[in-house]
Amino acid sequence: MNFKHKYFFLFPGLFVLIGILIFPIIFVVRLSLSGWNSYNPGLDFIGLDNYIRLFTDDPRFWESFFRLSFLSVTTVVLQYVIGFALAHMVWKDIKFKRFFRVLFLVPMMTTPVIMTVIWRTFFHESLGPVNDILSNFGFSPKWLTDPALAKFTVIIVEVWQWTPFMFLLLLAGLLSLPKEPFLAAAIDGASPVRKFIYVTFPLMAPISIGAIIIRLIEASKIMDTVYVLTSGGPGTSTETSSFYIFIKGLREFQMGYAASMSFTYLIIMIISLTIIAKVLTKLLLKE
Amino acid sequence: MDLVANNLSYKPDDQYHLKDVSFNFKEGNLYTILGRTLSGKTTLLKTIAGLLTPDSGEIEFDGKNFLKIPVWKRNVAMVYQQFINYPHLNVFENIAFPLKQRKIDQSIINEKVMDALKSVGLLGYENRKIQELSGGQQQRVSLARSLVKNAKILLLDEPLVNLDYKLREQLRDEFKNLFSKGLADETILIYSTTDPRETMELNGEVIVLDEGKVLQVGPAKEIFENPNSLKVAEISNDPPMNIIEAKISDNQIRFEGIDVEAPQHLNKLTEDGLKIGLRSSDIELNENGHEFEVELAEISGSETLLHLKRGDTKIIVSIEEVLNFKIHDKVKINFKIDRAYAFYADGKLASSPFGSLNG
Repeated sequence: MNFKHKYFFLFPGLFVLIGILIFPIIFVVRLSLSGWNSYNPGLDFIGLDNYIRLFTDDPRFWESFFRLSFLSVTTVVLQYVIGFALAHMVWKDIKFKRFFRVLFLVPMMTTPVIMTVIWRTFFHESLGPVNDILSNFGFSPKWLTDPALAKFTVIIVEVWQWTPFMFLLLLAGLLSLPKEPFLAAAIDGASPVRKFIYVTFPLMAPISIGAIIIRLIEASKIMDTVYVLTSGGPGTSTETSSFYIFIKGLREFQMGYAASMSFTYLIIMIISLTIIAKVLTKLLLKE
Repeated sequence: MDLVANNLSYKPDDQYHLKDVSFNFKEGNLYTILGRTLSGKTTLLKTIAGLLTPDSGEIEFDGKNFLKIPVWKRNVAMVYQQFINYPHLNVFENIAFPLKQRKIDQSIINEKVMDALKSVGLLGYENRKIQELSGGQQQRVSLARSLVKNAKILLLDEPLVNLDYKLREQLRDEFKNLFSKGLADETILIYSTTDPRETMELNGEVIVLDEGKVLQVGPAKEIFENPNSLKVAEISNDPPMNIIEAKISDNQIRFEGIDVEAPQHLNKLTEDGLKIGLRSSDIELNENGHEFEVELAEISGSETLLHLKRGDTKIIVSIEEVLNFKIHDKVKINFKIDRAYAFYADGKLASSPFGSLNG
């Protein structure tokens, strides 16, 4: 194939790519070097002032970032463990296997924002059914207004919403595994538990790494759940990076500063996810 | 320590995979299960290993009910026709796997794995990945894995069938060496195969299996010399034994206008519907013989297989040299009729050139 104008055909794709990816990133970088806010809209140039402010004078950003790290790692680990357990359960020949497979996917088919509204009602301190039941035993925890418990509530909702996705990926992985090593392991004297540890788990390592990374990327964007459930409260105790950036940028209209936070956030995420992927690969694949 | 089975039956669908299979295997012996594909060989081995539970019947080992013991506690080893290994482990780890499932010192594991590697001729390969090995080497790894645990029962399910011709011969010799090298003293070796030649070479006790049923049990030589039925004669010969419908009268075997003088062991048979069985190697080309037409001539290795036809009678002749024939050529052949078998119309053996059956 040696066609003179072959590169011409790259243009439609390239054009879309530039329009939706390259241009926005470059624009954000330029925006982050400006002092654009509601009093002073426009692309002026203030150098690295926004970045200096971010790194020296904004503990709230870093707090929200570490909170986000905690939330995303915790939820993804829980999603992985629960998702793997459920997938393993319906992978085996059990009764009503198909029914369970569909059942476990239901949360994924719901609209996250609407489900979060329902969860908020669930966990409402005085009107919610959860406390209605718990009050019979003398408990009425402040699910949404206690700083520590509010984080826990966010985790519950996130895990409920996204475990099915993990379940789906891991079930697909399990179903694609070769059957033979399992036959061999049973005969080689491996009990079901050891078979899981020495055969199933290592064989699932590549899929696990993929699933965990995908979910980590998704989970680092936690925003809708927090927005609807607690609005970052009480105080800032459930505020995540994306939510904080949203407040600064689209509520206070400090566009320049929000852009510098977004860009910093992007760089940190790329670096840390690369490291996590490398570490996981080393740990699980022994390579 | 005997492995005894009584009336094992397994019927997962509308067909029996095993039907009333009984046997009594003694330690220190080699048992060959001979049968065509889908005859139930793998099912039987899987049942012994514990991967399948029979619908009825019992298996006892060392006086204990084997069916109540889960697979991983049975202390059996198995080599499959597909080369089954652990794709995520290297050669050393693969072979060490069964040992790692018990509490054994790492130093003893190392020693045993190295011994096993040596006995299958794979020293120096311990750090290779499984996927980097050839089929024959992969099968050696799974053989080593089955040897290393000193199982009381070693099951080999057509271990050579997926290998090429050269490797098969080589590994078959190695198997024979391994089996005779003391390994067999306290082990029950069970080897399944479709290949009669392999069965004869291994020279163990043979169980002929067809459609899930045991047709005949006996030493390899006995099965070869006195197949108790047409079915067994077919299964235990490759190419299958030629079956010719003939009449015997006045000391003559008559078929397709050919008269052959009946040998002593056949001349007293007078029943109708007799079938004469003659191995393809017991027919030879001869200038003064009977004329047949060539239907097909295939050369396999150093042999030529001639498919011949006369009237409704079709026979296969194997000739120990490479010869070229054209289709529809006429050839003349002679029957070594003193090596012929006779079967009754219902398939039972009537007479064999090696003397009658026991009883």
